[in-house]
Amino acid sequence: MSDKISLSLRVNGASHALSVAPERTLLEVLREELRHTGTKRGCDQGSCGACMVLVDGEPVFSCLSLAVTLRDREITTIEAVEAGNELHPIQRALVQHGAVQCGFCIPGIVITAKALLDRNPHPTVDEIRHALGSNTCRCSGYARIVEAIASLTGERP
Amino acid sequence: MRYAEPETVEEGVTLLASTEHSRCIAGGATLVAMMNAGHIAPAMLVSLHRMRELFTLTESAEGLWIGAMTPHRVVAAETRLRGSMGVVRSAAGQLAHPSIRNMGTIGGSVCLADPSTEMPVALVAASARVEIAGPNGRRIVPIEDALVDRFKTSLGRGEIVTRILIPRGVEGAVGHHLRFSRVAGDYPTVSISLTLSMQGDRCVHARVVVGSCGPVPLHVTAADQRLIHSVLGEDDVAAAGQLLASAASPLDDVRGSAEYRRMLIPRLLGRALSQARELAHV
Amino acid sequence: MSHSPKPGPTPTPVGDILGRSVPRLEAREKVTGRAVYTDDMTLPGMLYGALLGSPHPHARILSYDTSRARAMPGVRAVLTAEDLPDHRVGSVLKDQPLLARGKVLHEGEPVAAVAAVDLQTARRALQEIDIQYEVLPAVFDPEEALRPGAPVLHEQRDTYLDFQTASPERARHPNAASHIRLIEGEPDGVWERCDVIVEDVYETPAQQHIYMEPCSTLASVDRDSGKITLYTSTQSVFRVQAITAEALGIPMSRIRVIAPRVGGGFGGKTEMTNQPITAALARAAGAPVKMTLSRTDDMRMMKSRHACRIHMRTGATRDGRILARKVRIVYDTGAYADDGPFVASVGSYFARGPYRIPHVDIECWAVYTNRLRAAAFRGFGNPQIHFASELQVDQLAEKLGMDPIDFRIRNALETGERWLGGAPVESGTLKDCLERARDASDWVRRRSQRAASPGKRRGIGVAAVGHVSGLLGSSATVRLNEDGTLTVNTGAVDIGQGSDTALAQCAAAALGLSLEQINYSGPDTDVSPYDWCTGGTRTTFTVGRVITQACEQVKQQLFEHASEMLSRPVQQLELRPGGIVGVQGAPDASVTFGAISARALYFKGGPIIASSRWLFPPTPIDTRQTSAQGLASMGNGFFVFAAQVAEVEVDELTGKVELLEAWSVHDVGRTINPAAAEGQIQGGFVQGLGYALTEELVWGEGHLLNPSMSSYKVPGALDVPVGIHPILLEHPSGEGPFGAKGVAEVSLVGVAPAVCNAIRHATGATVTRIPATGERVLRALLSREEAGSKG
Repeated sequence: MSDKISLSLRVNGASHALSVAPERTLLEVLREELRHTGTKRGCDQGSCGACMVLVDGEPVFSCLSLAVTLRDREITTIEAVEAGNELHPIQRALVQHGAVQCGFCIPGIVITAKALLDRNPHPTVDEIRHALGSNTCRCSGYARIVEAIASLTGERP
Repeated sequence: MRYAEPETVEEGVTLLASTEHSRCIAGGATLVAMMNAGHIAPAMLVSLHRMRELFTLTESAEGLWIGAMTPHRVVAAETRLRGSMGVVRSAAGQLAHPSIRNMGTIGGSVCLADPSTEMPVALVAASARVEIAGPNGRRIVPIEDALVDRFKTSLGRGEIVTRILIPRGVEGAVGHHLRFSRVAGDYPTVSISLTLSMQGDRCVHARVVVGSCGPVPLHVTAADQRLIHSVLGEDDVAAAGQLLASAASPLDDVRGSAEYRRMLIPRLLGRALSQARELAHV
Repeated sequence: MSHSPKPGPTPTPVGDILGRSVPRLEAREKVTGRAVYTDDMTLPGMLYGALLGSPHPHARILSYDTSRARAMPGVRAVLTAEDLPDHRVGSVLKDQPLLARGKVLHEGEPVAAVAAVDLQTARRALQEIDIQYEVLPAVFDPEEALRPGAPVLHEQRDTYLDFQTASPERARHPNAASHIRLIEGEPDGVWERCDVIVEDVYETPAQQHIYMEPCSTLASVDRDSGKITLYTSTQSVFRVQAITAEALGIPMSRIRVIAPRVGGGFGGKTEMTNQPITAALARAAGAPVKMTLSRTDDMRMMKSRHACRIHMRTGATRDGRILARKVRIVYDTGAYADDGPFVASVGSYFARGPYRIPHVDIECWAVYTNRLRAAAFRGFGNPQIHFASELQVDQLAEKLGMDPIDFRIRNALETGERWLGGAPVESGTLKDCLERARDASDWVRRRSQRAASPGKRRGIGVAAVGHVSGLLGSSATVRLNEDGTLTVNTGAVDIGQGSDTALAQCAAAALGLSLEQINYSGPDTDVSPYDWCTGGTRTTFTVGRVITQACEQVKQQLFEHASEMLSRPVQQLELRPGGIVGVQGAPDASVTFGAISARALYFKGGPIIASSRWLFPPTPIDTRQTSAQGLASMGNGFFVFAAQVAEVEVDELTGKVELLEAWSVHDVGRTINPAAAEGQIQGGFVQGLGYALTEELVWGEGHLLNPSMSSYKVPGALDVPVGIHPILLEHPSGEGPFGAKGVAEVSLVGVAPAVCNAIRHATGATVTRIPATGERVLRALLSREEAGSKG
């Protein structure tokens, strides 16, 4: 059995005092300890992007991040993307463009798109496609996802 | 499993040297994936996250020292990596996909010594040197001496890669990395890193390194020499490519057969050279 | 309540909801992360389940020792076949135990299961289970498995319950799960009448579904009644209920199945996944158990598309008519049959393609091998046969000097003609699809001008597609609430394709309500009317039909009340948008649904409610046209057509193929929700692109070499163009709701041949094996160049 480590994790602006084994991933801590189940487990290998969260504003795989290494970092999950009860423009665009199918990849895609637009409010279509390079969607063929994000920047695919 | 976050390299060295089956954790991208798959279960993880010196970039007369904990994303954006040093920047900007580039570090790439990833290939092309801290102090070794075999380095127990020197290289040279993979973001089937300098139509410097085609990045001096003083004509490229292909020892895997990889080497070499010449505007 | 077994007239939509791209009902909860999938659920006292996979492709189980695992702290249940009833399941051929029994038949086959207080403990306990095996010779190639003396997987095959028709050939081959023979015309004597003949062998891979949500089940058992409740990621709650009952020997009245949100299926979540074993763990542990497979376990333990080898010969006459075809199809169904016999039946049924070919001889096998079981996957046996057929059709056109689209149009089945086996084509719109594809893709120009990037060659290719929409049984109940809003109950599972929204739109359009006035309830075997499965491109078509029929009955009940309330005969009444019955030509004379419902509930007639049911009528093989043997008939379905065009660039140096742009033209009958239909088409196209270019499970000596998403590659955003153009044609059917037809599977079926025909157009090289990896294409290019330089 592993030692448990006490640590404080900052998730969506709130501090959580936790005691976790060092091999526990951020994904497991989010889903099982904090019950933030919007972040999805798809592959455990950093290959699908369903578990994407922001750490200090950069999209990372929570399945490959050990929780104990993240003290003092600012973690943002899908649960914090809405402002109050208002959908984030990315979320609204995905809804309106019919980009959502089974939805399992969508929280990760929202997170990736948010990181992109926070850094670069007017990405080209190619920049959007490159930014989505860590996210797999098996339903949509990506066209409507790219189109939805591009609609926020005035770009036309 | 135990876990420690020492603040200095020396403390980390002491911990690693004194604990059986201990591992450093840098970005985690590969180590945690292997833990998740049940392939490894270290007795102790020594995190490098608090060692400030591993995050620093320092320019010197020799070149740029890159701290081992620098993520690929930062390397890819580092404008001081120009000329032939650009081969490292080019590889860092292309490897895997965005979130891996956010997580993975240059030091982690060296320590993993995965022959099918890009960074070791680019570092060999750049003639990089690696600073290693250990129980007997620090030493600096050429990158080729650090990479011993598939997933095997020359690091001894208790040793940590602290920083990597990218030397300035040949005046007027350019660096370029070309990857070929089944789909975007996959491990490359074959990759080529090179530095190149031309005078008019004639090549005056070439250093070509091939990835995913052997236990360590493949560098064949005779292939470089076949290119130097040539005009990089079809025959020259084919001959150099053939030297590399016959020295290669690729494996069959789901990304391609060994034979296909051997076929690709001269073909991609030609493309990599012409792309590099475009960069150099010659 | 009553039902109407015969279809009523297609209703006229009321209001403007039909044909609108309304956002999905559940889109908001999905973009916020609030949508609940099975793994997001927890129950008090819940345990975690995990499965132990076989290390061998074929071995006899000599003994189990589970004592160390059982003794571990935190372990609550350990199961092997010794702890389970000896029942086998399967949709046609009941050959599969819940855990390997007697022998293991593929690497990764579940052989033991554990429930523990957390997943880490469960996984450690699996390592403590000691199983002694005697390794047996294995067979990995279906053709080898058919040879005399090959290792036999199912020695007791002939004792299994089997719903296929007899085949003497199957009886002679112990590894054959199915053998089918279909003959029309006089295929033996016809070949000398053919002016051109093409013949080749085609190979297609075991593609994996890679639904984003791995298989997951949460099982709980009521301690007093023994009733099991399963929350599970499935395509059919009713099939799960039946299979779990069958596997565990429990009456269906003691099993309830609920599907929360499902993160994709594509056929992989039909029939059994991990539901019965999770239920067995919960019963053994006396506590709820959740079992979510890791991606690697999902890839090793669940299912794939059938790998297939097809030997096909097709001949045509100088005037451009296809005259004859002879084909031998061998599907590798892996260790267990699952839906393999159906897949073989459907594959045979499509082996003539959407063409009139007077003389055909079809032989089809589904064969056991020591590999992962193959099962349903979008297209269901049809992508394999279309790959071979559409490549040959292109080659025939070339030999005849005809344009590939013209040649297809000349041979395309038209309305009133008969499919293989004799079923009539009621809506033969392939010609329209092909013509539209030609116009939309600027075919003629692109076919002749092929300027490519340096080092690349460019080409454009087409495939015609015939598929079916429909199959089997569905039912729906529609009930007017007291305020005049509507509750719609069906058992259909929305696996992400958007059926909840489309079906709610059907109900709204049938009665003139807004979507806010529709309560669409999710699938729950305790309360939902039966629906067979989300599969076979059937949900919108079949369930939509029963919903609109039930709505029609509700409308009649509404009109009877309104007639009395407004003192007008029923014939003068009309539905008005918003839930209103009015009098034709009298804008002021109307009554709301709410007023009618209140009258019905409290004064006269009783609740307004109706149900409808439908079994898609199976068309038997017409024995005057076709000689048939060994079919596992599940009925057929309504024939639907499409045309798919792909423009590609081939890298001369590496052989890598890039899709530049694509057009996918579908006769959808009547569009219910354009965005949803188009999204299905784009997604199906990209899944087909993976099948065409990169996706393939690879085994070495029976060991799966790429059971992860980093080694098995599906297309990413950078691998596909944004220019995949879905084009919807509307030729209403007489069967589907408002004339709609299905589209989901169809969008994948023609992609691989369209891409490979484009490769051939670009390079002259014929690729007969997919995925058309860089390596395979480069070799095809080089061997063509070599042949060219010799010639």
